[in-house]
Amino acid sequence: MKKALIIGIDGVPYSLLSTYIKNDVMPNLKKILSQGFTLHQTNASIPDISSVSWTSFNTGVNPGEHGIYGFTDLKPDSYSLYFPNSKDIKAPTFWEILGKTNQKPSTLFQKYHKKISHPYRSVIFNVPHTYPAWPMNGILVSGFVAIDLKKATFPDSTYTYLHSMNYLIDVEAEKAKEDKMEFMKSLFECFEIRKKAISHFFVGEPWDLFFACITETDRLHHFFFDASNDKENPYYESFLRFYVELDKFIKYLYEQFVERYSEKGFFMILSDHGFAPVKKEVYINKFLEEKGLLALKNEGNFYERVENKTKAFNLDPCRIYIHGTDAYPRGTVREEEKTDLLEEIKKILRTLKGENGDEVIDKIFEKEEIYHGPHTRMAPDLVCLPKDGYDLKGSLEKKEIFGYNIFKGMHTWHDAFCILPSNISFSKKPSVEELTDYIIQYYSQ
Amino acid sequence: MDHLTRLENKSIYIIREAYYQFKDIAMLWSVGKDSTTLLWLCRKAFFGHIPFPIIHIDTSYKFPEMYQFRDARAKEWNLNLLIGRNEEKLKEGMGPGQGSKLDCCNELKTNALKSVIKKYHLKAILLGIRRDEHGIRAKERYFSPRDSQFKWDYENQPAELWDQYQSTVEGEEHFRIHPILHFTEFDVWSYVQREGLPIVSLYFSKNGKRFRSIGCVPCCSPIDSNAQTIDEIVEEIRISKTSERSGRAQDKENIYTMQKLRALGYM
Repeated sequence: MKKALIIGIDGVPYSLLSTYIKNDVMPNLKKILSQGFTLHQTNASIPDISSVSWTSFNTGVNPGEHGIYGFTDLKPDSYSLYFPNSKDIKAPTFWEILGKTNQKPSTLFQKYHKKISHPYRSVIFNVPHTYPAWPMNGILVSGFVAIDLKKATFPDSTYTYLHSMNYLIDVEAEKAKEDKMEFMKSLFECFEIRKKAISHFFVGEPWDLFFACITETDRLHHFFFDASNDKENPYYESFLRFYVELDKFIKYLYEQFVERYSEKGFFMILSDHGFAPVKKEVYINKFLEEKGLLALKNEGNFYERVENKTKAFNLDPCRIYIHGTDAYPRGTVREEEKTDLLEEIKKILRTLKGENGDEVIDKIFEKEEIYHGPHTRMAPDLVCLPKDGYDLKGSLEKKEIFGYNIFKGMHTWHDAFCILPSNISFSKKPSVEELTDYIIQYYSQ
Repeated sequence: MDHLTRLENKSIYIIREAYYQFKDIAMLWSVGKDSTTLLWLCRKAFFGHIPFPIIHIDTSYKFPEMYQFRDARAKEWNLNLLIGRNEEKLKEGMGPGQGSKLDCCNELKTNALKSVIKKYHLKAILLGIRRDEHGIRAKERYFSPRDSQFKWDYENQPAELWDQYQSTVEGEEHFRIHPILHFTEFDVWSYVQREGLPIVSLYFSKNGKRFRSIGCVPCCSPIDSNAQTIDEIVEEIRISKTSERSGRAQDKENIYTMQKLRALGYM
């Protein structure tokens, strides 16, 4: 009998978690770690956005295979913005591979499909980028950006229960702007409902694999990350209290799991990206505009404003697309000009400096370096990762290159984490999509 | 009784019921075909003299034909017309070219309406929305309470069976009342046809194109159509399979997605 429990905690950094384990904010997690588990630092997907990172984990492949590059994308051969959702995922998720319900190919599927002896039933709860929910072997409750609870649940009986208990898909982050205190309160309330719903399915449903995500942490960090280590901050205690509650919930799930399935089950915890304090937001499109690489007209929606003479534009957070003749109706950059243009943009980006002359851009990747698979045509030509503190943005409406917002935290690529059985070790820092293999491996042994 | 008369009777019943329940009531008129149909029904309900004000939320970006039509009907039908405009934001240059369409709608429509409701202490507004317009509207009730933030708790609504309408709830700020909720797009056009109701000329085909849904100039695009008369439009709608609002810029679910992403700093 194979059983796995996976807990996802959105946006929890390795560094913060280590500190809280050391400082006894999370004594239960410390105890679990002493029972045969190891905490590792991991890399998020590139870009380090929840929809991309969780999809990379869910499918165990890189965006070149699963086709998700961000919360927003442009429709092929056009400038019209759309929001990719679960229907746009081109590779099977691990629960589809284990449940033997998938119809899509992937390298992970090729590797394991013959080794899975029988279908396994999963409960997948609040995992980002699984909306709308789709039929699978088990229960699926979609996470961010789910809009309609009915479309966020499979099967229908799941909706009936969640509806009856006044389930909340997400906190209303819009509220943070008006009343931060009230927003903090709603984070705890939302977490309570989440815990109640998770426990309901955990205890009451038959499953072979249980995967639940806590997403309140990401919201907490976006608006309160400055409170994480600052005793003077008015939200310091609330911030810590959230982690104390989280620690208790992890203990509850872990103990229930061990009690039922002894130590033979597979247990892991992971985050999809890290977090760091924000110094400034950086509006890359404004920078490209000032460097003469981007021209926008006043009419049109979002990227419909891109003019002929544009050479490159940016989508959140820093996905730079070359305005090529082959890919866009008004594209002007010819294939043979691309290599030089890419070099020029890279050079220009490296000149981007903060107030004290410090570097803003940490790493620049060309798409061939990071994306592999059948769906790289839609991939950005360049992706940049910033130095911690500089939050890169895709907004088209900014008048300055640097700015401030209400956010106190920003995503980081290099500081995600996972907790895995100690017999698993890595020769180099793993990225989030490499972790999925261990789950399927467990079921194929 | 024929189908359209049945629809009409139900609407008039709701309009009169609403007026009986709420003194501080007004009707929202976008000048489009649906709210013009509602306006016509209100006139019928009170024998030509509507006893409450008619609000037009003016974003300043409407088609010239719409302003002309509005003023002509207001005079002809002796309407107590109130114009709601977000002057402050208009002065600041808010418009579809400035910022996102979402912000533009929010400021020039939603916030303009909020201030009209506040200014005139309105307790109820009549709206010409229809159940078949959009997925989310399928959940609407005839009497729908809203709070001061315009929030609609669509999962907690009375059943409205057997023409029993609940017009009081605890803590509500105002009521939205939807007398033509049960009309389909086809019903509206058939009713316009039967009643000989005047309608903005934008709905009729010019050079092979006509508007199926009208609003602000930058956010509406015409559809391919040769329908130049009401009869031709009725026939076109009868056989059409595409969505009525396909010419509109934004779809509700996309708007929510955008709001959620923006609240976390994306876009």
